[in-house]
Amino acid sequence: MSLRHAWIRQRRALLSALLPVALAGALVATGDARAEYADVVINNYSDAAGMRPVIFPHWFHRIRFRCKVCHADLGFQFKAGGNEINMVKIIDGQFCGACHNGDIAWSVENCNLCHSAKPGTPTQVHESTIQKLAIQPQAGGQK
Amino acid sequence: MMTRRFSTLAACLLLSATALTSPSFAQNDAGKAVYDKVCVACHSAGIAGAPKFGDAKDWEPRIKTGMNALYESALKGKAPAMPAKGGATDLPDADIKAAVDYMVAAAKGGAKPAAAAAPQAAPAAAAAPAPAPQANPAALNFNRLLKPASKRNPPPPEDGIHDPENDGTHALQPPLTVFQSLPRSNAGNRVDWVKALDTNQIGPRWDRTDPTAAPVVMDLNIVREVKGSMPDVVYPHKQHTAWLDCSNCHPQIFIPQKGANQISMAAILLGQKCGVCHGKVAFPVSECRICHSKKKNVMPVKNAQAN
Repeated sequence: MSLRHAWIRQRRALLSALLPVALAGALVATGDARAEYADVVINNYSDAAGMRPVIFPHWFHRIRFRCKVCHADLGFQFKAGGNEINMVKIIDGQFCGACHNGDIAWSVENCNLCHSAKPGTPTQVHESTIQKLAIQPQAGGQK
Repeated sequence: MMTRRFSTLAACLLLSATALTSPSFAQNDAGKAVYDKVCVACHSAGIAGAPKFGDAKDWEPRIKTGMNALYESALKGKAPAMPAKGGATDLPDADIKAAVDYMVAAAKGGAKPAAAAAPQAAPAAAAAPAPAPQANPAALNFNRLLKPASKRNPPPPEDGIHDPENDGTHALQPPLTVFQSLPRSNAGNRVDWVKALDTNQIGPRWDRTDPTAAPVVMDLNIVREVKGSMPDVVYPHKQHTAWLDCSNCHPQIFIPQKGANQISMAAILLGQKCGVCHGKVAFPVSECRICHSKKKNVMPVKNAQAN
């Protein structure tokens, strides 16, 4: 496990080969997140339940659906972690379950496709202005 | 790309495994593996005063100090630019030493006559402070705080929030497989989503189940005069109603009445008003002139509602 981690960090260091080793070393140490703009991490209950937090990729979904489908028809609030989503509701056809039902999109047995964040990642909208203004998200999993 | 990553990963794990099981066979291989991943960044070209790989002149004075001194420099770092363990602080000492052995062996293998190396010894030592200006070229990088192109739109396993240990992470679609064919922009996902929709390069559904449902687009611009020298804001209902329902914004975020909404950049930066989407998912607030797009008129200002 640590070997794989080490390898990925080194790979990152290699990618930044133009930087001097000193800076590359600093990068390796910090593990900077540079995920897609608007990737939403949802960690209301995941950590506490021993699951990886969920990452919702806005970019992937907006290619397939307009904002209105989820945010008006399905009732998703415009707030990361602001929807009390749990697996019971999803299996019941609410929220993600309106599409992730094996009919419109793949079904809930693919746990790891959503629950894919590094454990302990707090609820946040990645690259959001608020995140950049350094209002640090709180650790999740305790909601 | 994903399979390549896997195969390199597998090779890497295999290498490390052989290094653990048969040290005599794998000593040099392990050294090479570490060199190829870590040391190569500087030592292949001799960046920032680093002794160049296979260059006997660079290495000879250092080898003379003894292997223990070399190990020490590699493990603990050395001024001006050598970081401890070359920056890979999570590697075991043995791997770093193996890499040193590998580089020393390569330098000895390519050794030139001692006569040629001897006069170089003094200049090499004196040269140590000389490359100081190059020692930190990152400080001279243009736009050093901006995200370089190489770090944009990484595939999920490399993006820093997805867990590469999770098998599902590797099944996710890397964004660039789609983004490369879409119109580009300068911020956010670096995709111009509005243009992509306008030109039918994407066809997101308006209804969850009915692919033929189409939005009722309202073409109405609202001009908001702003203080100071910034151009006035033109708010286009057209682009917004192509994606959103009226109820998404009205009446909760914006009261549908002229003059009823106090909007400031401070509120937007904090995620209110336009900032409910812009700066989270729609193009971010760095793109001032997309909204602030109406030049102030020297003539008496027109009606607040164009069209």
